[in-house]
Amino acid sequence: MGMWLRDIKRRSNLQDAIVNKSIISLQAKNMIKEVVNVKNKGKKHYMAVEFEPSTELTGGAWYDDDGNLHVEFINIVKKCCLQKIKQLKVATLETVLQLFKTSGVFKADLKEHHFEEILGALVLDNEVMEVKSNGMGEFGAIPEGKVCYKAFDKQRVGAAAEPRIGAMASMPCGVCPRIRSCTPDGVVSPSTCVYFQKWLEF
Amino acid sequence: MVSQHGILYAVHLITNQFGNLVAKVCECLLRNGALTLQAIVRRTELSPAKVRNCLLVLIQHNCAQAFILEESVSGEDAGEPGKALTQYIALFVNILHRVRFSKFMDVVSKELGGSCGELFRGLLEHGRLTVKQIVDRAGANAKESTNTVQEDLGKLVMAHYVECCPAPEPLVPPPDADTKKRAKSSKVMVEPLTLEQRVMAVAMPSAMRRFSFVPNADQVADDQQNVNQPPSKDVGEKRKLHDLESDTALEEEVECNWRANFEELLRRLRHKTCVDTIKVRFDDAAATVLSAMLEASRAEEDKVKTANSVPLSLNTIYEEVVKNEKNHSMTFDHVRTCLEELSCPPTFVKTDDESYSIDFTKITEAAQSEEIESIVLKRFGETAYKIFRLLFRAGCLMETDKIADRIFAEKKETSKTLFKMWQDGYLLMEKLVVGGTTTGPSYGGSSYLLWKVNKRLLRETILDEMFHAALNLNLRLAHEIDQNKEVLNLPPDKREGPDKQKFDRLRNVRLLIHSSLMKLDDAIMLFHDF
Repeated sequence: MGMWLRDIKRRSNLQDAIVNKSIISLQAKNMIKEVVNVKNKGKKHYMAVEFEPSTELTGGAWYDDDGNLHVEFINIVKKCCLQKIKQLKVATLETVLQLFKTSGVFKADLKEHHFEEILGALVLDNEVMEVKSNGMGEFGAIPEGKVCYKAFDKQRVGAAAEPRIGAMASMPCGVCPRIRSCTPDGVVSPSTCVYFQKWLEF
Repeated sequence: MVSQHGILYAVHLITNQFGNLVAKVCECLLRNGALTLQAIVRRTELSPAKVRNCLLVLIQHNCAQAFILEESVSGEDAGEPGKALTQYIALFVNILHRVRFSKFMDVVSKELGGSCGELFRGLLEHGRLTVKQIVDRAGANAKESTNTVQEDLGKLVMAHYVECCPAPEPLVPPPDADTKKRAKSSKVMVEPLTLEQRVMAVAMPSAMRRFSFVPNADQVADDQQNVNQPPSKDVGEKRKLHDLESDTALEEEVECNWRANFEELLRRLRHKTCVDTIKVRFDDAAATVLSAMLEASRAEEDKVKTANSVPLSLNTIYEEVVKNEKNHSMTFDHVRTCLEELSCPPTFVKTDDESYSIDFTKITEAAQSEEIESIVLKRFGETAYKIFRLLFRAGCLMETDKIADRIFAEKKETSKTLFKMWQDGYLLMEKLVVGGTTTGPSYGGSSYLLWKVNKRLLRETILDEMFHAALNLNLRLAHEIDQNKEVLNLPPDKREGPDKQKFDRLRNVRLLIHSSLMKLDDAIMLFHDF
């Protein structure tokens, strides 16, 4: 886990300037290194160069060395997982994990929980559905009650993969940030609303 | 309890159609619940005669109901102890139905044809009519014969689109008697009925009487009256009594007012919404199969918010599917495949021993979720969309960091979005302080913010916003018409150049606002009535 700079100063009982100078000197001699804490980037942690920081500090496979979310890598993994699920039509977590292990696509050491997080993210993106197998039809090969993932069929007209624009969302009031202040005769009102004005421009 | 904007919207609808006075009385009832005539007079500061007339208009159009509460009167209206006073209650649901008349007309005309539709229109316009009034109106408008009109009315009553009006002043028992009876028979916690529901349950005639229409009853009554002339020497006392009894029954029949049965119409619209939801999620074939199931189980449905349809066998469903000429090409296997697809999770159709039943609750919830997610996506953005879906599915409190990890977003952005959603009432927030001394977290403890979606509260918030939006659309339309009334008053041949442009713009504005209102009303039904 390393040690937080403030904790070093407190435990060593040395003056701030001395501690800071010592830290710089040790870093220059390649004896310690700074590790970014993804949960709190303001807190500087230091540890000996021989040690590997724990995933609690670094954030794990999804964060780069600077402690930033590796968005590009995450999107690539998501895309690959989605392709596999579309090929299989219905897939379990184990199936997806097995496919990637055998293919060796990713150099990073991705474990089962990593893929579980990715599949969870795909569900939240509305790209796949998380369902429980009922052992019938397309779920025939999967034991009943097992959690599996099914891609939405984008070929179907109006398929649920693209979130539909609902009734409220298709009009200004539905998405207005000022709706709570809007009253018939107030400063913000339907008669004076600029969003309505734009919406009714033909 | 009707929300604030629900009341404003209902009052606006009544103002548009019946004027300010009636709207004032209606608003008084909506805000204060059931009131006696004296209480309404006191609160509205109108004369008793005006209040009485306004109430008559509301009752005529099924927007209010009179009743007598069978319990001792106390408070400001205390009269003699135990004296029952007539009270009036506004029927919020029926007021909302007034914007749906075109949808109701569509349902009736498609199923029963133009002449039934025309007759039905009269009932919608006038609220309630006797048979004689219906016949007279049809005769004046389309020169229909009495027999045709009675036949059409019979069809409407048989299809349950028209019903006999409720009792004018039913005696409503206290709620304790009701809940005790229901608690005995049911082990499941049941939400108590509102006063409006209790009043209507008592006021409604029995199922037999409600949908019992005897054609030519007035003609028969006239004949009976002729028979009841001073009796000839051959008629004995027994017959006189029999005649008197049948006279009374016929008088009741003749005097019965008829009105549109909103319950049945709402049920049809609910079916339509279910079919549309399935069409979007699956395909036309699945929608056809669902439609057939709805048609086959229609007669067994006894209320609008039924959770499940009656179970149907595959054969029954297939027979119903191929009844429609357009579906003759659908094979038995195709129908079975569609049912299997619908039975796959999320199970919109439940299977049990070779029988299938529709899970209305699941379909409605799916449609509601889609609507809410659409609002969240457009109002707050993609990050909020993912956060919302996560918390909605989790159904429990989640900490900010955990949310950020699950949606693969930066913690700062996640926090900002969570606060925005919380401020607009889409999320609940709780603060958890861990560790530290009793004097506060600053002494070594840490505080965490936990977030949750409360589904019931959220639906109420969304519904109130929908009422607000519907009101705004109406007000904006009125404003646009008011701004351009000069152009509207110009004769068509005088509209040139900028005037013509203004007129065309106004026409487009009206079309857009009306279609948005209809679409929004579908969403209101989804959250309020289904």
